[in-house]
Amino acid sequence: MLAQVRSWWRALTGRSRLDGEMASEMDSHIERYAADLAAGGVEPGEARRRARIEFGSAAAAAEECREAVGLRWPNECARDLRYAARVLRKSPTFTAAAVATLALCIGANTAIFSVVDAVLLRPLPYPQPERLAMIARYYWGRGESGYGMGTSGRIWEAVRDNATYLDAAVFSDGSKGVNFAAGGRVEYVKQQRVSAGFFRVLGIAPFIGREFAPVEDGKGGPAVTVLSYAIWKRLFREDPAIVGQAVTLRGEPYTIIGVLPESFQGVTPADLWTPLRPSATGEGGGWNYVTVGRLRPGVTWAQADSQMEAVGAPILQKSGSDNVRLRLVSFQRGLTDGLRRPLFILWAAVGLVLLIGCVNIAGLLLARAAGRTREMATRMALGSGRAALIRQMLAESVVLGLCGGAAGAALGWLGVKALKALAQDSLNVWQAVELDWRALAATACVSIAAGILFGLYPALVASRLEIRAALGEAGRGVAGGRNPWPRRLLVASEVALGVVLLVGAGLLIRTFAHLRGLNPGFDAHNVITAQLSLQDARYATSQRVNRLFDQSIARIRELPGVESAAVTLTLPYEFALNSGFQRLDGRHVDTESQIANMYYVTPEYFRVLRIPLLRGRVFTPADNSTAAPAMVVSEAFVKVYLRDDDPLGRHLDLGGGDRREIVGVVGDIQQKSGWGDGRPLAPMPDIYVPSTQVDDKFLQMVHTWFSPSWIVRTTGPPEGVISGMQRAIQAVDPQLPFAGFHSMADVRYRALAQERFQATLLGSLAGLALLLAAVGIYGLIANSVAERTRELGIRLALGATVPQAMRAVALPGVALALAGVMAGSVLAGFASRLLRHLVWGVSPGDPLTFIAVGLGLLAVAAAASFLPALRVTRLNPAETLRQE
Amino acid sequence: MGKQVDILQGTLDMLILKAVSLGPLHGYGILLRIQQVSKDALQVPQGSVYPALYRLEHRGWIAAEWGESENKRKAKYYRLTAAGRRQLKSERQEWKRLALAIADVLAAEPEEV
Repeated sequence: MLAQVRSWWRALTGRSRLDGEMASEMDSHIERYAADLAAGGVEPGEARRRARIEFGSAAAAAEECREAVGLRWPNECARDLRYAARVLRKSPTFTAAAVATLALCIGANTAIFSVVDAVLLRPLPYPQPERLAMIARYYWGRGESGYGMGTSGRIWEAVRDNATYLDAAVFSDGSKGVNFAAGGRVEYVKQQRVSAGFFRVLGIAPFIGREFAPVEDGKGGPAVTVLSYAIWKRLFREDPAIVGQAVTLRGEPYTIIGVLPESFQGVTPADLWTPLRPSATGEGGGWNYVTVGRLRPGVTWAQADSQMEAVGAPILQKSGSDNVRLRLVSFQRGLTDGLRRPLFILWAAVGLVLLIGCVNIAGLLLARAAGRTREMATRMALGSGRAALIRQMLAESVVLGLCGGAAGAALGWLGVKALKALAQDSLNVWQAVELDWRALAATACVSIAAGILFGLYPALVASRLEIRAALGEAGRGVAGGRNPWPRRLLVASEVALGVVLLVGAGLLIRTFAHLRGLNPGFDAHNVITAQLSLQDARYATSQRVNRLFDQSIARIRELPGVESAAVTLTLPYEFALNSGFQRLDGRHVDTESQIANMYYVTPEYFRVLRIPLLRGRVFTPADNSTAAPAMVVSEAFVKVYLRDDDPLGRHLDLGGGDRREIVGVVGDIQQKSGWGDGRPLAPMPDIYVPSTQVDDKFLQMVHTWFSPSWIVRTTGPPEGVISGMQRAIQAVDPQLPFAGFHSMADVRYRALAQERFQATLLGSLAGLALLLAAVGIYGLIANSVAERTRELGIRLALGATVPQAMRAVALPGVALALAGVMAGSVLAGFASRLLRHLVWGVSPGDPLTFIAVGLGLLAVAAAASFLPALRVTRLNPAETLRQE
Repeated sequence: MGKQVDILQGTLDMLILKAVSLGPLHGYGILLRIQQVSKDALQVPQGSVYPALYRLEHRGWIAAEWGESENKRKAKYYRLTAAGRRQLKSERQEWKRLALAIADVLAAEPEEV
């Protein structure tokens, strides 16, 4: 058996050598025989002739030899492919159309697959990634369920102390840019905060030194840092004696205790790591941590999961939420939580487009097969089997598929580049998105599968023919001579699939329009903002920070064209600080923390953004550090927490004994909601406090996460004050440059980047589907006009009017589209449910979208049907009849 | 020349194995040897030797190598392999059994049936 495989492989790989050997072997045979004959007295010329005749056909013998060593199958395939290439070259228009269609469809698939592969399919780059878990809050109720991936400090403490099945660590999601000084050089680097044991849980041993010990991860522990290999190489020239060296991080001294291996890729891109120091209050009061855990050896997921539910139950029950429990999800699943659904939907969409493309080409092939009936019949009459015909036609479609795949890979490469440019932020993943061998292999498989998919049905239909009828017909088009239904069915299904895509895209576009149309709650016109990092040892006290605010605002207000200016911790549309609080008096008194967004602001904040005051008052300069602690809340806050109470005069504890009185209620603004029901934008319960009334510790903490924003309202175009603002801040502190000037309109625009991206991408795919469906209908009708020329000529000659004849050929196209729209609407009704987590402000069954898509498709179908039918007007009955 | 017999389907392989078992031969030599040993009673179609040779080589029963022929020309010589020897042995037994069985059938008298 092995010998046979080896011999077969040798034959396959050395075919020209094999052919040469056979020829010379048989030649010498004939020569020897001729020589023997000549020796027996036959005249040499005659001897040679007789030897040749008696040997028989050397070519046939050689063919038999090749078959004997198992070359029949590959030989026939090679012949089929050669023939297919020749046939396709002969009809360049068809080939170009099919290859272009495939290239677009396969290219889209290749590009999306590259992203899906990098984000969802390729395992995490850590040892035994399948044992890594994330702790999630699973909530359900009202027919909806979902996950929250954040963890609070209290849950983390419970997990750390009680979850024995899990070796867990906790980290702060994302990284932050900080100033880093070492050996006289200053760099802006990315810092991530992780707890002790983080690298152990991931399965990564430091390349040099060690990772954080629990004492370093606790309150008041020594300030230490672990470096990435890249920064160690760049800034320290791979100094082996790195451990123990001192560096300055945002103005504070840190000691280096380790360097990570070169191959290490963090869960977010970072240059160095510092201890997280998790706590149950402050930052730990909200869902600001992310956990990573490794199942201990021998523990199953089910065991660890049920233990996690038990660990979380007391804490989650106390906070009054019934339909929630802790659950373990795979770490990769947790990290990609936000990307998962949009990516799968995109993947499904490009898959649908490919399917439509295949159906389209299948239709073209069917039309071509009609023109090749005689060729097929002749070949069958000459003894070719049906299987051989099917194989031959499949070879053609596979060649088409491969050509389309090659062009598609090139388009996919461009697509990957475009996707990376479009969605740099949301694709910020640990593995590079690139067109690698995995994507290419997938493309090749898709191309061949597509070739078979669109080739098989036409091949089956075309090879089922009556030889005598086909040959006898002599190519004369008899009206309805061929069964038109296979192709009609294809066109209708194309329309149906197009409806699914168009409805999906329509829903996302409507969602985007809804979100964009939401009242922002403030006036974004003529407002500019800039950020400033205050993660700096020089701004560790409230006094220093507020002096900076006062002085810079005073200078900015003097600039020509400036109406008002303020500072806020975070802007509308940004993720805000989540803060815990307890209600102290009134109808509701809390024993457990509630959650709201919290901002410190300077007094003019509400004026700059023109957020309306509904009750009470807003802050004034009199609300200073010595005045009674005051706060302003949003309308949504009142609705959620003080519904049937008088908000003014109520007192809240914002944690750590920070008691405040509500002095005013302002209108809502739209926020990115980090919690709640997951809608992308919503008015959240907001708490505003004066920047003068927050303590040093709070400021230091929040400035590690947020860079405060200066907001300036101008009388004219806001871009005019940029240089003035820069000069103003320089005059106060020459070492503080503003970064990232954006108009508020721009902030608003960027807040919907993901929704815009999804709507654009799905919209273009749906447009492609619509185009393909239109081309399919057009081709069908054009073909039927061509086939029925004679019949139409007779009709016209017998007195039918041109409009009547046009209707006769075009109406089937519209009827098919109608059938496709109806079937597609049913399909879309199911498919749109998959979109329900991405659709806001419209229902997934939105009748307007369905009706608009249906009517739009019918209109396109009508145009695609009547356009080719116009050819009827150019028909000259007398001429067409004479031609036959 | 006596009466020539067309060789039975499938027996050509066995004859070739037997021919090369006596020593390495090239294709034409094999043909000659079969005719010579059978005293020209067996007539092998010349062209059919080669597919059979390639088939046998493919199965690993014979091996080929290029060598010099008697008149200093390159020729492909076939020799029996160990597997071929086993195959020849089993085919010969098969043949004998078949021949005996056929002889028995042909020799059967009416009363024996």
